[in-house]
Amino acid sequence: MAAAVEVQDLTVAYRDQPVLWDIDLKVQGGVLMAIVGPNGAGKTTLIKAMLGLVPQAAGRVLFFGRPLGRRRHMVGYVPQRGSVDWDFPTSVLDVAMMGLYGKVGWVRRPGKTERAQAMKALAQVGMDAFSGRQISQLSGGQRQRVFLARALVQDADIYFMDEPLQGVDAVTERAIIDLLRSLRERGKTVIVVHHDLQTVSTYFDAVTLLNVRRIASGLVKDVFTDKNLRLTYGGRVAVLAS
Amino acid sequence: MLTDYTLRTVALGAALLGIVSGALGTFAVLRRQSLLGDAVSHAALPGIALAFLLTGSKAPIILIAGAAVAGWAATWLIMATSWSTRIKYDSALGLVLSVFFGVGLLILTAIQKMPDAQQAGLDTYLFGQAASLVQRDVLTMAILGALALAAIAILWKEFKILSFDPEFARSLQLPVRRLDAALTMLLVLAIVIGLQMVGVVLMSAMLIAPAAAARQWTDRLGIMMVISMGAGALAGVAGALISASGSHLPTGPTIVLCISALVLLSMALAPNRGLAWRMVNRYRKSMQLGREALLVDLYILALKHAERTHAHDETALALMRPGAGSPRGRLRKLQEIGLAERAHGRLWRLTDDGVKEARRLYRVRKGGGDP
Repeated sequence: MAAAVEVQDLTVAYRDQPVLWDIDLKVQGGVLMAIVGPNGAGKTTLIKAMLGLVPQAAGRVLFFGRPLGRRRHMVGYVPQRGSVDWDFPTSVLDVAMMGLYGKVGWVRRPGKTERAQAMKALAQVGMDAFSGRQISQLSGGQRQRVFLARALVQDADIYFMDEPLQGVDAVTERAIIDLLRSLRERGKTVIVVHHDLQTVSTYFDAVTLLNVRRIASGLVKDVFTDKNLRLTYGGRVAVLAS
Repeated sequence: MLTDYTLRTVALGAALLGIVSGALGTFAVLRRQSLLGDAVSHAALPGIALAFLLTGSKAPIILIAGAAVAGWAATWLIMATSWSTRIKYDSALGLVLSVFFGVGLLILTAIQKMPDAQQAGLDTYLFGQAASLVQRDVLTMAILGALALAAIAILWKEFKILSFDPEFARSLQLPVRRLDAALTMLLVLAIVIGLQMVGVVLMSAMLIAPAAAARQWTDRLGIMMVISMGAGALAGVAGALISASGSHLPTGPTIVLCISALVLLSMALAPNRGLAWRMVNRYRKSMQLGREALLVDLYILALKHAERTHAHDETALALMRPGAGSPRGRLRKLQEIGLAERAHGRLWRLTDDGVKEARRLYRVRKGGGDP
């Protein structure tokens, strides 16, 4: 069976400056994978490039052996929380329903079915009691959960999440990790940009160490080594994997 | 008053303009494109002048078409400049605005020097001339406006997600670039149909102000748009009536003043976001904090006694917080809500409920512990 995600020779450049250089990557289905690397390593760019959100200078990305155009309903995305204006006049339920806008089709408005699906997703992240709330009244962790709910309603097979654990409290972190694990149990593949090296081995099955180039990629127990971390972070990494 | 043909036409046109610019302005404000509106309206001037030079006609529909082409070209130029050069978006915007406007003024001056009686009146597009509106112009506005509103209705959810999270919209494989172009085109349309009445210089106010006012009153996009359209229409009609009431005020600027007044009013009075609301809230909060402090003070004094409901003198309480003034008023309020009571004269004590509440507050302040 083809890998859930396969990246071949992916290169991304901003104004002639390579941000990602010749990345090769294979992610098997049903795996939780972290992408780690120092600031400016291109972690966010990597998932955006895989999703076709930034132009690729070279290379290609396959989802279960096919390009994105053929697999668009299989892919879900949770962008960084800070990427939107949370003062936008809309409600929690409304944001969750946005995950269905691609499926609803043109002209049609989301109706009862979509509402029910969105409520179910909100319940999964423990935000159903907040469905009518204006989004600016949410805490950081609650905003993250709403974004997760919006991705859940997509009912994708492969999820890309950009720093979902950044700046959330311990309880929310717990809830999010439980959610990721339940996604894995249902056979989903989840690729997460992650910043906390300490938790990589407890939370994830696989890891990609990135610093413009792919330093290493594979199962945590195989590639999350002192040597690879030093190669990724230079001499600056103080906390190494145990 | 509305039986007067000119006034009726102007008021109707102004209302239409308010509705359309209120609707498109909602998206412009939420997408932080308020200044783009300003650039587009200024950039329309050379379009108007060139359209006249090329056709020799002053028919509003032709001039509007010229304005739309120029506005669209300006938008495209701003985007292209900020994408493909190191010039940032805001600089590109300022640059295009002033270059287009400057060129427009030059052509306008050149036209006025031409030995042709027909040229007079083109400069009314600078500040608008509502009185020049005839029924056919209003009909043109109505048709174009209806088209714009229909497009918004059809693409509602797409425009909503485009405004909130364009990147996520792209991950859903929605054609974000094309939607962006469509919404910007509608914005240009909303601007050009107002030029005859309000003029290129003030038109952006018609776009920004109704939406800014509406944002104060609601937290829902749909409601915001309806309020914005209403505010635009109200200001349009009010401005038309005021300027027609013998005051000899120009219509365009009067409409802009009316909508500005609505913005100020909204900023001052709207619930939750309004200044008045926030001041009342802050006052209430400070009163509550004062009462809570007093409750804790009474409790602290009572700690030295066997029973927590031991009465103490007002003076002692006043001395515990110098500068807070006489505690009499706050004590009365505490009595009203059943947390304290007057023993006699100037002596006050906690009630049983008061002891409970004070103990809770005391713990919160001390961060735990049970005295």
